Amino acid sequence: MEIRIDNLTKKFGDVVGVEDLTLHIDDGEFVAFLGPSGCGKTTTLLTLAGIYKPTDGLIRFGDRVVNTVQPKDRNIGMVFQSYALYPHMTIFQNIAYPLKLKKVPKNVQNEQVRQVANVMGIGELLDRRPGQLSGGQQQRVALGRALVKEPDVLLFDEPLSNLDARLRLTMRGEIKHLQKNLGITSIYVTHDQVEAMTMADRIAVMNRGHLQAFDAPDELYDRPKTRFVAGFVGNPPMNFLDVEVSQSNGHFLAEADSIQLPLGADRGAPPAGHGGPVVMGIRPEDIQIVEKGDVTGEIFVVEPLGREDLIDVRVGPHGFILLADTEKQHRAGERVSLNFDMTQAQFFDPQTERSLLWRQ
Amino acid sequence: MTARENLFDSDKLKVEEAPNSLQRDLIDGLRLGFISILVMLAAAFFFSGIVHPLFALGSVEETVMDVLTRLCLLVLPFVAYIVAAGPARRYSATNMARALFLALTCTVILFAAISAGHYALSYGAFAPRPSLEMSLSQTEAGIRVDAIVAGGAADIAEIKVGDIITAIRRDQVDLAAFNKRLNQSEEEAPLRLRFIRGDEEMQETVRVVLVSDKQLSVLIPGLVLGLVFTAIIVFLPGHWAPYIALVGLLSPLIVGYAWVIIATFSYRTEGLIPLDGNDNFGGLTLKNWESIIVGNIAGLEFNIVPIFMTSLAIALVMTFIVLLVSSMAGYALSRMHFPGRRFFLSFTLILHGFPAITLLIPIFFVLLRLGGIPIIGDLIGFNTIGGIALVMVAFQLPLGVWLMKGFFDNIPWDMERSALIDGASRFRTYWEILLPQIRPGLLALGIFAFIGGWNAYIIPATYSIGSGVSNLPVFLEELIDATAPVDWNQVAAVGMFQLIPIFIFFIFAQEYLLNIYAGGTKGSS
Repeated sequence: MEIRIDNLTKKFGDVVGVEDLTLHIDDGEFVAFLGPSGCGKTTTLLTLAGIYKPTDGLIRFGDRVVNTVQPKDRNIGMVFQSYALYPHMTIFQNIAYPLKLKKVPKNVQNEQVRQVANVMGIGELLDRRPGQLSGGQQQRVALGRALVKEPDVLLFDEPLSNLDARLRLTMRGEIKHLQKNLGITSIYVTHDQVEAMTMADRIAVMNRGHLQAFDAPDELYDRPKTRFVAGFVGNPPMNFLDVEVSQSNGHFLAEADSIQLPLGADRGAPPAGHGGPVVMGIRPEDIQIVEKGDVTGEIFVVEPLGREDLIDVRVGPHGFILLADTEKQHRAGERVSLNFDMTQAQFFDPQTERSLLWRQ
Repeated sequence: MTARENLFDSDKLKVEEAPNSLQRDLIDGLRLGFISILVMLAAAFFFSGIVHPLFALGSVEETVMDVLTRLCLLVLPFVAYIVAAGPARRYSATNMARALFLALTCTVILFAAISAGHYALSYGAFAPRPSLEMSLSQTEAGIRVDAIVAGGAADIAEIKVGDIITAIRRDQVDLAAFNKRLNQSEEEAPLRLRFIRGDEEMQETVRVVLVSDKQLSVLIPGLVLGLVFTAIIVFLPGHWAPYIALVGLLSPLIVGYAWVIIATFSYRTEGLIPLDGNDNFGGLTLKNWESIIVGNIAGLEFNIVPIFMTSLAIALVMTFIVLLVSSMAGYALSRMHFPGRRFFLSFTLILHGFPAITLLIPIFFVLLRLGGIPIIGDLIGFNTIGGIALVMVAFQLPLGVWLMKGFFDNIPWDMERSALIDGASRFRTYWEILLPQIRPGLLALGIFAFIGGWNAYIIPATYSIGSGVSNLPVFLEELIDATAPVDWNQVAAVGMFQLIPIFIFFIFAQEYLLNIYAGGTKGSS
């Protein structure tokens, strides 16, 4: 089912939930809504579900405008962060509930519930009640309940937030696999950018009720169109630095205090042409500690992550987060030389925060 | 075992307490005990000496302060025992002899101190009483003088052993009246006794003296009580304390119910002891219950069935309407936004706080007018079960609505959204998903409403004057009014009979009330 959201606005009194959101989702696509708390992603999801009515704008499922259609008539399935299982019903009754409401005959219900339960790996738990299940099992039940009525659209509202890290990893894979197999158009709300990056075909990054970017994960990562997207996507987050980019004899140079970084023309020309100070962004993995580099600084903090160390290096007043091999055994206070991979540098307008390299 | 394992060995985590010297512990306990005595005395003085005069200045009712003062003095020894026995508690598991010794020694010393205090204050057991310094006993002829203290007041007045006292001045007295008279006399007051010595009637005037006639033996029960109390404090497992306290606080209720139950099965009772016609233990009977069924108590004829049915009807109608309206209103107030929601909420709260009795007369007129309307008047007018139930429902609803709103508030929004998305209508969500989850709340409110309706007295009594509509509490009152002398055992039987449905209700509802659903959601919404 293709979903077209045009100029969607949802206000609660004077509080703006979402404003002027336009988003077209293809049939069978897996889209993630990514953003910090209170950015309007759940509001958008609940508006799609029909729980909230849009203040303005149009929502189309296929060719049908569903603005005022009741949730029960939208044929959607939804998985909640809190699972929202019905505690007074058994697992079987929970999964069968949507079918019961559709007045599906008992024997067909029975068959479909068992089938879904087996797919979800909860076939043995059908006689239990939700309170007797672990968090992971409860989430499988919730997913089963959303799938059993063969919905046109699947909505996920941070479904993995309440699970432990290991289980989250497994469930992530399972949900993605299931979605690809069934080919159901899915919208997945999360504030965890790793989830969004790994699962989604396209990610809609939202902030304060506005859509910041809507692109494939790699695009967002490599060619962020706003400073917010650049900072939000990627872990650890991108380093930002106020610089001035100048050009002399076809060579470009980004300068901030004592830091001087030579640039190639493809990255250097737009910020140099912009004139005045710009914001440079560089990802932690694009900075290396080397014998002899462009910049020298002092290690402020070393945070071991296991596979690598997260190192905060101070160069004069500026701080850079970067990743280094644990075997190097860097210590705080040590003086190091840094090499910046400037072919990956991003530049943003300090006022509009839009990218100077990639036009929208 | 490595040092690390050692650290996590739970037994080792308990730091062995260095045992104090016995002397030290004793002093600690006694110090605490005496401090608590001082605190209690200070509290008593605070109520009687400071707050009381302040209240008296404003000529406000002062009895509360008297009660508080007496309460402080009453519990004073027990507080002292508890506090003093505290240090001994830690030995109760390891060194029982030591704990016992510490606690008992503290108790004895504190008891001595408190008793001495009482004596010094001339308050309580040692207070000097008016006395004639002779011992008396009641005989058929009069009060016989059994013994005389040599050189005492009676001896001086030349009363002899064997005299039979018949009157003080001209008032015939028995021993009780004599003692009462004596106790009201002041020191040196002259009492002119008339007595018979041999066959001769004589008169002598005896002057009252103040004597502390109490023997040391009266202290022994107090000391024993104190010792038992302290022993309990020391050896009582910690988790029993709340139960003991609860049982203590509930004891008036327990004794009350015990009396009601015993009374219904006996001819008459003395305290909790059933007695037969000759004041001997026994006299158990079923006649109290029989007369309820037969419908004749002390000449008052009645039929219990319609009365019972009226009570049941009021209670059931009320329960049904209260549950239906409260749950729906509670849902709306919890989940929906509409103009006037906040006002409605605060308004119902005010209604709940409003004393219902003040509305008795206005509602009387409302029901009287309602009764004049055809058809409706027969259902909910004056002198109808419907009318009574309606008024009771109105009084119960504010509580019910708030209670239900609270229960609905606790159900996460996601649950409801989930049901809507699964394909349920709003009403179906309410009926199939939300109501089952607040079943404990519904049951609690249902029991409130049922018991309220079942035990209702003032409203049925007011709005069914002179009609056949009478429920059990109203009947109970009629029973007390119409029979003289009142047979309290019969009244108790009717009261017990009234309790039966409530008992049954609780036996079956208990399980549901305690069954609170867990799980199914995680996090908040």
